[in-house]
Amino acid sequence: MWPDGRIAKVNATLCDWLGRPREAILGKRLRDLLNVAGSIFYETHFAPMLRMQGYFHEVALDMVRADGSIMPVLANAAERRDTSGELLFTRLTLFKATERRQYERDLVEARAAERDARRQLEDMVMSLQAGMAEQVAIVMEEKHNSELKEQFVAVLGHDLRNPLAAIDAGLGKILRDQQWTDRTPVILNLMKNSVSRMSALIDNVLDLARSRLGGGILLNRDEARSLQSTLEMVIAEIQAANPDRTISTRFQIARTVRIDHDRIAQLFSNLLGNAVTHGAPDKDIAVDCTVDDAGNLSLSVANAGDPIPQEMVPLLFQPFHRGQVRSNAHGLGLGLYIASEIAQAHGGRIDVESDQNEIRFILRLPAQ
Amino acid sequence: MSIIQRNNVTLNGTGGTAMVFAHGFGCDRNMWRFIEPHFRNDFRTVLFDHVGAGRSDLSAYDPEKYSSLDGYAADVVEIGQELGIEKAVFVGHSVSAMIGALASIRAPGMFDKLVMIGPSPRYIDDGEYSGGFSAAQIEELLTSLDDNHMGWSAAMAPAIMGNPDRPELGEELTNSFCRTDPEIAKQFARVTFMSDNRADLSKVEAQTLILQCSNDIIAAEHVGEYVHNAIPGSQIRYLQASGHCPNLSAPEEVTLAMRDFV
Repeated sequence: MWPDGRIAKVNATLCDWLGRPREAILGKRLRDLLNVAGSIFYETHFAPMLRMQGYFHEVALDMVRADGSIMPVLANAAERRDTSGELLFTRLTLFKATERRQYERDLVEARAAERDARRQLEDMVMSLQAGMAEQVAIVMEEKHNSELKEQFVAVLGHDLRNPLAAIDAGLGKILRDQQWTDRTPVILNLMKNSVSRMSALIDNVLDLARSRLGGGILLNRDEARSLQSTLEMVIAEIQAANPDRTISTRFQIARTVRIDHDRIAQLFSNLLGNAVTHGAPDKDIAVDCTVDDAGNLSLSVANAGDPIPQEMVPLLFQPFHRGQVRSNAHGLGLGLYIASEIAQAHGGRIDVESDQNEIRFILRLPAQ
Repeated sequence: MSIIQRNNVTLNGTGGTAMVFAHGFGCDRNMWRFIEPHFRNDFRTVLFDHVGAGRSDLSAYDPEKYSSLDGYAADVVEIGQELGIEKAVFVGHSVSAMIGALASIRAPGMFDKLVMIGPSPRYIDDGEYSGGFSAAQIEELLTSLDDNHMGWSAAMAPAIMGNPDRPELGEELTNSFCRTDPEIAKQFARVTFMSDNRADLSKVEAQTLILQCSNDIIAAEHVGEYVHNAIPGSQIRYLQASGHCPNLSAPEEVTLAMRDFV
């Protein structure tokens, strides 16, 4: 090729390969013998490369025969320059590469097929994993829900049925008597107690539903009220119902706190009620409440009694949990669960410390 | 990764005005090897690689950003801002001629002068407009890239190892020139050959010189003339050099034409 790229000489073999007479090739440029894609690439890649390094080797090109068909070739090119660096001519050597190109294309296709297959496999694995995770989550959720449901049915079956049966029996007795007798006020008072118990049970179940199904227990915080009065009121109620028990108190309250007093009263009532129910009957119950200058609250209820086995501690705060030894099982086993939910709603927690001498439940609330 | 590292930017020269050289589709900033040194006495010359080419930071290649020439133009503006370039000369080869035009529109005052070597605002014919290629031909080009059928990206590497005949090119060049990540090259080819920036030409306010090669199949004479007519006040200069890369095949002629202009 001349320095301007026009073809100066061509051998008979290439003329034969291309099906073009020599005179149809001389004076043309290489790109005139290439397809469009090839000529663009020749101009943007191979021609600059040839100029920069003076040669190129094994460049794949598609030449166009006289009949329009494509002949793949591999091309080597080398520039020849004179001593001053002036380009004299460029020699181009072409190798027919039909077979090789077919082989290369097969390789490319095989690689593409392999890539597709791998991608499909990866997709399958991914979707399998996602599906399994979803299934596991559903099963876990179902298991969780069904456990809760079973417990719930048991609770409704036993705990609500008992006071209801008492009311039913009382009503039956009054209806049979058909008149006001000396026994009537006694029966009515028993029935009223049963109604109170049922009401308390329903409150607990509602709290459970709120904390499990809703977004947790909602608080109505009030800083104006006195924490000590709230606690003393609960103590008075429990003391009244259990006049033979001794409850000692120690309050060190440095400041007011922003809490939901009714909910803290509910929590404290539960802890104190448990201490009365489960504690040794002949031993004191100790209540200790501290609020430091920063507003951190610590409230502990301690009673003497059998230590709680360590493995039982995490279960204490599960819904429907009941201790193994129960003398008078009136509750749903929701009390401690709801108490811990109230603590959590305040950003705090309830801990249990248990040794040979005493069992101590401690509520800790951080300063608000 | 700074902009300087991202685009492999280097500065040379002692002049007050900056001259930014931008390479086109196919190779990298080494395209300017025979031209840029001639301007070091009078200009502060700036060489860079587009992201995806040469020694740019390939990890900065974002297919979405570089899905149109605007992404490349934004990079040019960022480089200009980073270097505090004002009233400079932009020299763009091939598709970078249009990238320079877009950058000059985006950042008024950054480039006073624009040298376009082998520009084309649209490669595909469109009604009366003749870009030089039919849609089918460009599609064939892009498909052949998909097939890797040119073998150019894989076959390129062994071809450019070592260069005993031209030792002045140096080691760093022989291993990287024209070598591009095939995936990036594929998209750059698509962005280049599917681009249509005819509507932007009339917005160019920089003083513009078009250098038109003879026998350039990629940007034919009438395409250069279309650009000349569309850019207000532009000059066109016809080069003896044939082909699409006069910056390599006829650097003296290109340098002379640029000197007259700047």
